[in-house]
Amino acid sequence: MNVNDILLAVLVLIGAPIVGCIAAGIDRKITARLQGRVGPPLLQPYYDVRKLLSKDNMIVNKSQNFYVVVYLVFIVLSLLMLIFRQDILMIIFVYTVASVALIVGGMSTGSPYARVGSSREIMAILAYEPILILYALAIYLLTGTFKISAVVDASTPLLAYTPLIFIAMIFVLNIKLKKSPFDYSTSHHAHQELVKGMLTEYSGPGFAIIEIAHFYEYVFLTGLLFVFWTVNPVIGFLLSTAAFLLVIVVDNVTARVYWQWMLKLSWTFLLAISIVNIAFLYFSGVKI
Amino acid sequence: MLETTVMLLIIAPIIFSLLFVALPKSLYKFLAWAFFLVGVALSVMLVLDGTGTVEVAGSNFATLESIVLILEVLIILYVLYVSAKHKNWPTLALIAISAGLAAYSYMNVAEVESASFNIDPFSQVMILIVNVIGTAIILFATGYMDHYEEHRHLNRQKTFYFTMSFFLAAMNGLVMVDTLGWLFLFWEITTLCSFVLISYNQDEEGINNGFRALALNLVGGVAFSAAIILLGTRFDIATLSGIGTSSSAAVLALPVALLCLAGFAKSAQMPFQSWLLGAMVAPTPVSALLHSSTMVNAGVFIIVKLVPAFTGTTLGTAIAIYGAFTFVMCSALALSQRNAKRVLAYSTIANLGLIIASAGIGTPLAVAAAIMLILFHAISKALLFLCTGEIEHTIGSRDIEDMSGLIKKAPLLTMLISLAMVSMLLPPFGVLLTKWVSMEAASSNPIVIVFLILGSALTTVYYAKWLGTVLSSTMDKNAVHHAKLETYFPLSFLGLCIVVTSVLVFTIYNYFIKPQVEILLNIAPTVSGQAGQFTSEIGAFAYAAIFIVLALAILIYFATRSMFTPRMSNYYMCGENNLERDGLMFRNGLCSYDKSSASNIYLQNTFGENKLTTLGYVISILLIVIALAGGVL
Repeated sequence: MNVNDILLAVLVLIGAPIVGCIAAGIDRKITARLQGRVGPPLLQPYYDVRKLLSKDNMIVNKSQNFYVVVYLVFIVLSLLMLIFRQDILMIIFVYTVASVALIVGGMSTGSPYARVGSSREIMAILAYEPILILYALAIYLLTGTFKISAVVDASTPLLAYTPLIFIAMIFVLNIKLKKSPFDYSTSHHAHQELVKGMLTEYSGPGFAIIEIAHFYEYVFLTGLLFVFWTVNPVIGFLLSTAAFLLVIVVDNVTARVYWQWMLKLSWTFLLAISIVNIAFLYFSGVKI
Repeated sequence: MLETTVMLLIIAPIIFSLLFVALPKSLYKFLAWAFFLVGVALSVMLVLDGTGTVEVAGSNFATLESIVLILEVLIILYVLYVSAKHKNWPTLALIAISAGLAAYSYMNVAEVESASFNIDPFSQVMILIVNVIGTAIILFATGYMDHYEEHRHLNRQKTFYFTMSFFLAAMNGLVMVDTLGWLFLFWEITTLCSFVLISYNQDEEGINNGFRALALNLVGGVAFSAAIILLGTRFDIATLSGIGTSSSAAVLALPVALLCLAGFAKSAQMPFQSWLLGAMVAPTPVSALLHSSTMVNAGVFIIVKLVPAFTGTTLGTAIAIYGAFTFVMCSALALSQRNAKRVLAYSTIANLGLIIASAGIGTPLAVAAAIMLILFHAISKALLFLCTGEIEHTIGSRDIEDMSGLIKKAPLLTMLISLAMVSMLLPPFGVLLTKWVSMEAASSNPIVIVFLILGSALTTVYYAKWLGTVLSSTMDKNAVHHAKLETYFPLSFLGLCIVVTSVLVFTIYNYFIKPQVEILLNIAPTVSGQAGQFTSEIGAFAYAAIFIVLALAILIYFATRSMFTPRMSNYYMCGENNLERDGLMFRNGLCSYDKSSASNIYLQNTFGENKLTTLGYVISILLIVIALAGGVL
């Protein structure tokens, strides 16, 4: 831990929510334009958070906000571990802590809407976690280690040998950002039967923390896609931005599906293409 | 010194089992406390005594050998008697075969002149598990059994405590002894004890399940004695360590495969899993003892001990695939279960499968993961079982759906079971750390790693939904909660053990695991532990950082809590609450009030027992046949 590392950590802690906030603003702007509206200002997500923080702390039980704090802190930790090029498998497990904390937070409120949303989010874990770990496995097979630093030091981009896993990861991004057609646990769109799903009983400061954590999560998830092309950071950035924009467009042009459909898609198509890719890496023995 | 401790570890539980029979029920509480303290003291003594071997020779040996022989005959006679009495023909046939094998080996296998106990770091870990967790479970039982028997109009506590204590004695012997003949005796005693404990209720279900456990474990026993005969007559090997150090590892494949088969049966791997599922009809302390610290661990103990005999061979790969298959299959089955004890039973089988898979991979890193998983799994699973038992007494149900709102009814109990569940699936706790190690170690074998990935996702799902359910707060609050010291002390103690072992993971690794891997494979995993990181050649696990962040989260929560004064409100029910009656009442389409409810998703149609069990049997039997065939060829 030298001075540079600390500066980088501080930069990430401050910079990531700003980037995430702007990304969320872009999301809302594009969505509005696609729906024929003008849309809110770019910084609207920031104004929202500022207002939420000034609101009353309305809760249904005393522990619900604890899980939200755990969610935020572990998202930040997984982002930092990614930035510091740690073990990717470990990063995924740390990220799971955050996801589980949010689910448990939703369930802890005891409200039926929240519980329905949370159970569906648990199913989302079942859908995306195997893909994420296969992504980690691909990194291991290509570099001989699970450390992200090996990918960064490589001279060939990861994407060259993992196109199928990249496709699967875009679906994971879609699921994790809770965008349509996979927005059945909680959604930015109005869904009457779900209300706000998992987050129904969160308001005021508690909800503000969730929004801030989402900003970090945006950066973290697109960062996972950035890893596919670290040789040239500009291409990596364009790649992850393109994936993000694609997810937003898909969000607006598709209707949400049953969660069963997502599970089937994931455990058949996504797993199959990922495993095919892994099998190729295993048998060809290529290294980057 | 070592010799005394070894002998005491076997004799002390037997003395306690006799004391339980001799003394009245009112003294059980004190006896259990004494047993707990003695167990902790003896196992710590064994660790302090260090490693080494203890030879038993001369007249001592002759006496003990004849005791062993008498006990073996007694076991066979007893099983013959009960299976004939209950007209259980499969068991009768199996015990007849074992009797035949025993007679054959008595006549044909060369007599050994001495017996030995081999105390290596792995034995020390196992002794700690058995004597600390096992006695804590017995202590818990003293606060549990009265209530249990009252409900079922039973009065068999003398049998119960006698068998439980005797079980621990057999287990202590099993993990220390090196001579195969004696090991087999301890092996059969644990089988017999589990039969007595599972059929404890003496109703039809209990007796049937007891016989199923007995029969399936006798299959393992038959494989075990066949292996002993093969080793004794063909290779002149009479000790467990002799198999590992033998230079002719390849020709030993068949007996080794047979011993592994015995281990699979003991560890309830598919297709033997039904005995462990049936074992849950017994009182909760029995399930906790069978599932966490004793019975099932004996199986994986043998398999890990045999690692040098199959590492790097086809048999090893077959074992790894078989274990990984059981892991994913049983995790999927656990997902579909609503009954908490069944979820735990499948979770146990799955985790043992993971241990077997790691042992099968056989690299230093994987073997280290296997031994560590045995330790961490035992602690977490014991706590989970005991908490489930206590929940059953508190709310009168073991259905996961009925546990919603538990945090309001029994906060401490909920905190403990949540800790146990979190320790099973999330970092920075030990089970996840070992899962991470075994995944990284398994990445060289594509089939094993894909199974592990799927199984790990399924594990997260079934624990996360249970965790969310116990932590969800509902408005009703009608359970009365009794907090007894004898029940809550073991629970809190195990909770503390989880945290302490997870924090000290690297110390444990250095002190026990690393020397053991060196003994088994002659090389140590290249793992270092600077700055709270668990670093191997292919990855790093920063457990200290995660502990710090977890503490930070708690700190932030408490620091900011006062900044935002909370205001309690009711659930959002689309403006239709009926607050006079219940926060969960809403007005339905007929303008009357209904209570809303939400339940978890169990995917019965995809992962249900009726869908997967047959498939599991077919594939697992196929895999075992392949492993055995690989052994013969």
